[in-house]
Amino acid sequence: MSPQLTLQTPLELAPAEVPTYLEQLWAPDQQGSTGTGANTFCLLIWQPAWAEQQLVRSGRLSGPITGQQSDGLVAAGRQAVVDADLAVSTPPLDGEVIAAVATFQGSEAAEDLRGQYIDPALSALQPRRLITLAPTIDDGKGLETMVAAYCPLPEEGGGTTACGDVVVLRGGHHALHEGMAILEPLLPPSMPSWVWWNGFLDEAPALMEQLASAPRRLIIDTAVGHPRHCLDLLSKRVESGQAVNDLNWLRLRSWHETLAMVFDPPHRRDALSHIVQLDIDVEGHHPAQGLLLTAWIADRLQWELLSSNAVEDGIAARFRRPDGAEVAFHLMSVPVGQPSVHAGQLVGLRMISQPDNGKGVCVILCAESGGCMRLEGGGMANLELLEEVVPVKHTTPEMDVARLLGGGHDSTNPLLASAAPLAARLLA
Amino acid sequence: MTATITNPLRVGLRQERVIAPQCLVIFGASGDLTHRKLVPALFELFKQRRLPSEFALLGCARRPWSDDDFRGKMAEALAAKIEEEPQAWDQFSSKLFYEPVDLQAPEDVVRLGGRLDQIDQQCATHGNRTFYLSVSPKFYGSGCRALADAGLLKDPKRSRVVIEKPFGRDYGSAQALNRIVQSCGQENQIFRIDHYLGKETVQNILVLRFANTIFEPIWNRNYISSIQITAAETVGVEERAGYYETSGALRDMVQNHLTQMLAITAMEPPGRFDPEAIRNEKAKVLQAARLANELEPWNCCVRGQYGPGGSQTTPLAGYRQEPGVDPNSTTETYVAMKLFIDNWRWQGVPFYVRTGKRLAKRLSEVVLTFREAPVHLFDAANGGPTSNQLILRIQPDEGADFRFEVKSPGSGMRSRPVDMEFSYDESFGEPSDEGYVRLLADAMLSDPTLFTRSDEVEAAWRLYTPLLELIEDSPWQLPIHPYESRTWGPAAADALLARDGLLWRRP
Repeated sequence: MSPQLTLQTPLELAPAEVPTYLEQLWAPDQQGSTGTGANTFCLLIWQPAWAEQQLVRSGRLSGPITGQQSDGLVAAGRQAVVDADLAVSTPPLDGEVIAAVATFQGSEAAEDLRGQYIDPALSALQPRRLITLAPTIDDGKGLETMVAAYCPLPEEGGGTTACGDVVVLRGGHHALHEGMAILEPLLPPSMPSWVWWNGFLDEAPALMEQLASAPRRLIIDTAVGHPRHCLDLLSKRVESGQAVNDLNWLRLRSWHETLAMVFDPPHRRDALSHIVQLDIDVEGHHPAQGLLLTAWIADRLQWELLSSNAVEDGIAARFRRPDGAEVAFHLMSVPVGQPSVHAGQLVGLRMISQPDNGKGVCVILCAESGGCMRLEGGGMANLELLEEVVPVKHTTPEMDVARLLGGGHDSTNPLLASAAPLAARLLA
Repeated sequence: MTATITNPLRVGLRQERVIAPQCLVIFGASGDLTHRKLVPALFELFKQRRLPSEFALLGCARRPWSDDDFRGKMAEALAAKIEEEPQAWDQFSSKLFYEPVDLQAPEDVVRLGGRLDQIDQQCATHGNRTFYLSVSPKFYGSGCRALADAGLLKDPKRSRVVIEKPFGRDYGSAQALNRIVQSCGQENQIFRIDHYLGKETVQNILVLRFANTIFEPIWNRNYISSIQITAAETVGVEERAGYYETSGALRDMVQNHLTQMLAITAMEPPGRFDPEAIRNEKAKVLQAARLANELEPWNCCVRGQYGPGGSQTTPLAGYRQEPGVDPNSTTETYVAMKLFIDNWRWQGVPFYVRTGKRLAKRLSEVVLTFREAPVHLFDAANGGPTSNQLILRIQPDEGADFRFEVKSPGSGMRSRPVDMEFSYDESFGEPSDEGYVRLLADAMLSDPTLFTRSDEVEAAWRLYTPLLELIEDSPWQLPIHPYESRTWGPAAADALLARDGLLWRRP
């Protein structure tokens, strides 16, 4: 399904008029017989779409700018990697790509519809209010505020429609800062509010601080931004008790499930107590996802971190198992020909166990999209070999966010809460 | 080091749906079901952290108990479970309340409304309520009406009613009861429970059929020659003689549990995994089902009653000798029958259904027997080749077996059957939840997928109407065949299949 455009052309209002206008819009005497204001949640989205803006400006992508992760955007990003002579394993919407495209000539203009395109997965949840902060690459641009009401059409027709509204604040960085004042009254405390930081986690720390304080619930992606900053931010927010959801963690779900599935048969569980080696391969040089998976395993198996060091090709660490034996860990960055949109996605995992009965077990999980020849090589002739292929689902960030919102995740996933601090320490 | 009991990597991965804050009200809270099944299931949900923190359980019955009395009675009944996790019980029991209520007394129901408002304040349950009627079936209609009259069902999004089996005694009474409950609330507020549908293995039939491409193409009359559905119990009537004397095996087991297994086994694939889509298909297949011989039901149905049995050291009383049973009782404790489903998929395929008490083994299973190979090329160790069978084991030893022919080792080309086995225990090693855990959670989530809709219940009763009428009007035409306790039922049931050249599977 393609994204839905608001039925009503957004109304441009002066920032100060927006809260009053919306208050009147949902006043009881204004509500029609078929639509009422949904009593659901508010979603505030930081939507810089830098890559899309630069690709459109340089004429490598045709407009309008929507902020959605379309196939065309990803393809244009991949082409830019080639044109800018970047390493082939550079993710197509990476910061390096944006920086390179920013140097390309061009001044194409296109309509900016950020905040007005609503992914069906999101609209199906009937949000009461979607607020989009849309910074422009022209930093001097003044503030524009737009408002539109929308009513998702109920599937199969009929029924009362719960309506919502969209608010878009667009402009240069300074102008957006000025507009912050109207946000507070737009996020009523009676309704849960989520802040989706759909940009680099380290690009505007002060703004994030201002927008995403508790009790607002935060959605981030630790694959976007400097790994150190991403994991520290995640860890601090989790420790503060704020509800945090990480899309990078969410993308690990088939890895979690597949690894757990390997040890579901009771006769294999003993092997979990005797792991001596854990190897993880990730795409490129962003270890956050690999470390989150490692931290989850270590936490579940009650391993204690003894040491962690950066090594030439990644990270090496040592853990101590509850029985005192050591586990060697190695995370390796591997180059890939067709990298995922998200930096540092898992390529493979190898877990070697040496139970007392001498019947060693080697578990190898490989991403469906790539091979794991390195992990499959050498030293396993005497081990029972269990290999599984992990399906890689291609979902857009909008679909992942909708999944989070639909699941009612009003607190941090306890597994993520336990893993995040350890993942940050592994990067130390 | 010994193997870990639970898989540590599995813990916390399951994404359970979130139950909204609410108060569960159980009518019949002093009864057997409450302390044997319902409260243990809720305690399990609490331990699994699946109940919201804003949750309350209000027990209601005529006995003049206090909150503490109710908590004490439940603690007594759940002593073994509490011993494992006393702290969890302390937390859970603080959510238990009790109100003496006679559902037939309007002033009691009005007072109940006040108590619920009070609990809403105390536990922040926001007026969201699930009412569970664990009372005598004769009070289902009046109970619903009392709740509706007190205004407790007026918000269809925040009130639900769960109704235990049996839903009616026959087609007419089920229709009448449906009319009453539907006048009290919307159909999506009514949850008719059949605990067999809460069983993991019954739900697995849906997954096995509709998540695999290998089964569905052969799941029809072209490949399947017959289907057997068995629910066998080793226990007798126990303390339920009063109820059982008025119901018998047909009403107690066949009309609900076995018919639900039949529906799930035989239904068409739903367009999507959606409560209405699934219930539409189940209702359709039940509407197409009929007794193999509706004009002469005695030719396709056998009734039996267990007699004495057991061994010299542990003798077992016959049904008529059980306390509370009429010594001349003609209530059936065993029933076997042959059905057909008149649709494109199943035309001509016999479905054999049997259930009984005091049989040789406790088990429930569905057995699909495939057609024989058209030409027998090989000698078979058993005389003739054994038909392929897919055996879905519902309980105990939950799993599935596929039986097929292989070459017997050695010279020559003789075939023999072997079993390819899947066992829940060996694959997952974790006990599955009791049916009530799943069904209580689903009801509180307002998910009706595993509950029977009005048209399904009516179709199920209509299916057995010729038999019920015969038993009522001329019972001699459907005589009770005695069988020895701890055997596989009366010989007449074997003869029913023998007429088609078949045997019951002896598990």
